[in-house]
Amino acid sequence: MSRHIKEIIIKYIFFLFSLVSIVVLGLIVFSLFREGLPIFGKVSVRDFIFGMEWYPTYDPPSFGIFPLIIGSLIVTFMATIIAVPLGVLAAIYISEIAPASIKEILKSVIELLAGLPSVVLGFFGMVIIAPWLQETFDLPTGLNIINASVILAMMAIPTISSISEDALYSVPREFKEASYALGATKFETIIQVIIPSAMSGISTAVMLGMARVIGETMVVLMVAGGAAAIPESIFDSVRPMPASIAAEMGEAPFRSAHYQSLFAIGIVLFFLTLTFNLIADYVSHKFRQVGSGTL
Amino acid sequence: MDSGIMKLHKVNFYYGQCRALTNISMKFVKNKVTALIGPSGCGKSTLLRLLNRMNDLISGTRVEGEILFEDKNIYAPDIDPVEIRRKIGMVFQKPNPFPKTIYNNISYGPKLTGLGTGNMDALVEQSLKQAVLWDEVKDILNKSAMNLSGGQQQRLCIARALAMKPDILLMDEPTSALDPISTAKIEELIEELKKNYTIIIVTHNMQQAARISDETAFFYIGNLVEYNKTDKIFTNPDIKQTEDYITGRFG
Ligand SMILES: Nc1ncnc2c1ncn2[C@@H]1O[C@H](COP(=O)(O)OP(=O)(O)OP(=O)(O)O)[C@@H](O)[C@H]1O
Ligand SMILES: [Mg+2]
Repeated sequence: MSRHIKEIIIKYIFFLFSLVSIVVLGLIVFSLFREGLPIFGKVSVRDFIFGMEWYPTYDPPSFGIFPLIIGSLIVTFMATIIAVPLGVLAAIYISEIAPASIKEILKSVIELLAGLPSVVLGFFGMVIIAPWLQETFDLPTGLNIINASVILAMMAIPTISSISEDALYSVPREFKEASYALGATKFETIIQVIIPSAMSGISTAVMLGMARVIGETMVVLMVAGGAAAIPESIFDSVRPMPASIAAEMGEAPFRSAHYQSLFAIGIVLFFLTLTFNLIADYVSHKFRQVGSGTL
Repeated sequence: MDSGIMKLHKVNFYYGQCRALTNISMKFVKNKVTALIGPSGCGKSTLLRLLNRMNDLISGTRVEGEILFEDKNIYAPDIDPVEIRRKIGMVFQKPNPFPKTIYNNISYGPKLTGLGTGNMDALVEQSLKQAVLWDEVKDILNKSAMNLSGGQQQRLCIARALAMKPDILLMDEPTSALDPISTAKIEELIEELKKNYTIIIVTHNMQQAARISDETAFFYIGNLVEYNKTDKIFTNPDIKQTEDYITGRFG
């Protein structure tokens, strides 16, 4: 067999494999829309997204998911606030400061954290953090925003720190040498040269960490408390979108309005994660092009 | 010639177990250009990086002997390498501007030390003029330095080093990545700079060494073989090895 024909065959095999994953993905998105869209015959998009009341099993039912959206956004936002400094600082410490031995230990610990099943983290939130919160702050329940945010942050830290670390690691040595040769200290070099040069990667890391958090189900199901109402403080319970879907799908009759509304929540979630990924993509490109220059 | 601004006394240097410089004693003369020549791997860059403690950044390295700058050993325990690097500037083989604006490249160093406070614009202009780059970039100071040509980038790197008002300028093959025109510009620049600075330059280009330097040191496998006035080295070297290298019979 000639080398040329071999090349062509190999090319098509790869094409076929990539096609399979695209088709599967397409089918999933298609069924998501087919099952979810009919709800909008019964309730307007506006009432669905901005409606304040989520009573899908009442008679008459009410399908307002605004409290669920707020629930998702608030835990994502808070988890990000916790995870970004920790993840980024850990990455800086690992790639620039830590001696070789500590570096290896830290890296394995973070990998271990990434490998923990979310149900284990959720369990930790339920039996350790929740009772502690309840007692310390004298709350009706410890299953609330702050608890969920802390646990979600733990899940986002490995993503944020490992991608940031790659970005920091790939900052050219020439930049560091130039900085040191001008009499900059290590700290000055990190702040003024290394971090700005790695900014695109760090931003991507943050966006991907957020995308990971907003779609996370098990943790929010276990520790967010499940109240479908707009929260008034970080000690209130919420019901993020994935938690609603997971909790209610089992009891929603097939192709009922409730069932359809849960799929529609899936559509909203799909667009939200898509947005995060697109922003991550955009940010990393934008910084890469002009970026280098205007920092 | 006791105007030695920098003196090496019996210096050995090791990368781990591997000795890269052996028993080097020499003296660099103030306001002169000294060229370091020798075949690849003989330790020229190592020596240059020793002079502003850049080798500190490589783990597992070790120095023996004394390197005196203004009569103080720069490897004495009470000396801060950061201070040394502020007084002894360096230009690298590959132009390495920061991915920042032209202006910020120049102001980076002075800002760290508080040099040029209140008058940064003037310092930036002066440094760029010294590096004969001002006319080419004066309208694009806020554009990225990465968009400049290689030769312009290298002059920017020189300007950046000059902005620190160093006493000595170390240059490691500063023109090896550049075209002949940029090279000529940088050579002219060196000619100009030596009025105010002491310059130590590594080069593989024999004509360049002969053209621009006052003193020349020839190294071979970590040893200083011959060190003398450039005229002498290039017309009538004392040692056969030096002559062979300069005439291109080896290396
Ligand atoms: N970071 C390093 N770690 C270990 N050994 C090194 C390191 N840098 C250089 N060496 C070794 O030290 C010796 C001298 O290297 P150096 O870079 O000083 O040579 P050079 O004269 O500058 O060569 P060139 O002309 O190719 O730049 C070489 O044998 C090299 O292998
Ligand atoms: Mg070299």
